[in-house]
Amino acid sequence: MDIADWRRKIDELDRRLVELINQRAECAHEIGKLKRNSEMPIYEPDREKIVFDNIARHNPGPLSNIELRQIYERLIDVMRQIQRDEMAPETNAGSDHTELGTND
Amino acid sequence: MIVAMWENATDDQIQEVTNHLVKMGFAVHRTTGARQSVLAAVGRRIDFDTRELEVLPGVQTVHRISAPYKLAGRTWRPEGTVVRLPNGVEVGGKQVVVMAGPCSVESSQQIFAAAEQVSKAGAKVLRGGAFKPRSSPYTFQGLGLDALKLLREAGDRYGLLVISEVMEISQIDAMMPYIDIFQVGARNMQNFNLLRELGKIRKPVLLKRGIAATIEELLLSAEYVMSGGNYDIILCERGIRTFETYTRNTLDISAIPVVHKLSHLPITSDPSHGTGLRDKVAPMARASVAAGADALLIEVHPSPDDALSDGAQSLFPQQFAELMEQLRIIAPAVDRTI
Repeated sequence: MDIADWRRKIDELDRRLVELINQRAECAHEIGKLKRNSEMPIYEPDREKIVFDNIARHNPGPLSNIELRQIYERLIDVMRQIQRDEMAPETNAGSDHTELGTND
Repeated sequence: MIVAMWENATDDQIQEVTNHLVKMGFAVHRTTGARQSVLAAVGRRIDFDTRELEVLPGVQTVHRISAPYKLAGRTWRPEGTVVRLPNGVEVGGKQVVVMAGPCSVESSQQIFAAAEQVSKAGAKVLRGGAFKPRSSPYTFQGLGLDALKLLREAGDRYGLLVISEVMEISQIDAMMPYIDIFQVGARNMQNFNLLRELGKIRKPVLLKRGIAATIEELLLSAEYVMSGGNYDIILCERGIRTFETYTRNTLDISAIPVVHKLSHLPITSDPSHGTGLRDKVAPMARASVAAGADALLIEVHPSPDDALSDGAQSLFPQQFAELMEQLRIIAPAVDRTI
């Protein structure tokens, strides 16, 4: 296989990945809705630990656990934001700025 | 804010820091490195103390990204602030505004002579102290209210605006009818009660940098005044205390471009207090204009050898006129007029 072939394979995998990631986001969305009327916090370190343990256990390689974890950390940041938006949509509009001196 | 953990930090320690950040109201983005983990705290708070995190176990460094001030920061008003004074004078616009006059008002004859001389040379604002913050209680303390009246008369007579220093809250009302700009001296830069009161008035305030103040502290003092609703602040670099004692202070010329980057407020340079020596005033004034100063505050006395205060740093009227001629040549080089 040459570079063009591998890139075609990547494009195909990306299509499937994007589908799966969005399904995952949909779950986070629904959980956010259910959490809205409860006292449950958005940030749950114990659950996140379980998630990281799971992916490490099912990791066939060639990625190392650490590399896979770094990708998941970004995924989970977005999932957490989805839940946050779901739980308090008015106050969180545009809240995800870095604290680099944003205007109100 | 970025929190970098030590390489051997435990997972529990990282968790503890994360919990703390979450409690402070930040969203935490963790990057787990093969050896070192870094937490990026994202949120809107400006009033926090990074030391709260520095003392937690496992934390190597905490790096604050945003500024602790909001109103004084450049992002709040990216186009820059132009302070509009009477007579069509603007500080922060194309013209470098020169404020000149004696250290203190000593007599009617003295201030009228000074006003005529500086006005002829091209100054737009007349300075003169009425209430003097002298380091020694035995030296001339100023003429008080009489001085303000003389300042106003002299200014009106020669088409000059008036700036004078306010030392305490009780003086604000008394000074209001006589002056156009309230000057806050270096020693009052962190007189927060005074700053808060000046935030309530609607006349421009010239805020001098403290003798050992960082630029961040200067901008936080400006923030105090602005948070009261008075946005017409003119900053002033007047020299900072360093280990060098040959000059009275060390005029921090770099403060001019630094303030222009961090803030939207115009900045004045005071080469008279900045050096304390007459023959150093003109070179520093030239350098200030070249560095982009929006205004100059220069001490000029009709007869410096007879001055009751700061005579050694006051220019003779002829020297001031010559300096203004030189500045007229330098200003266009940096796209300004004077």
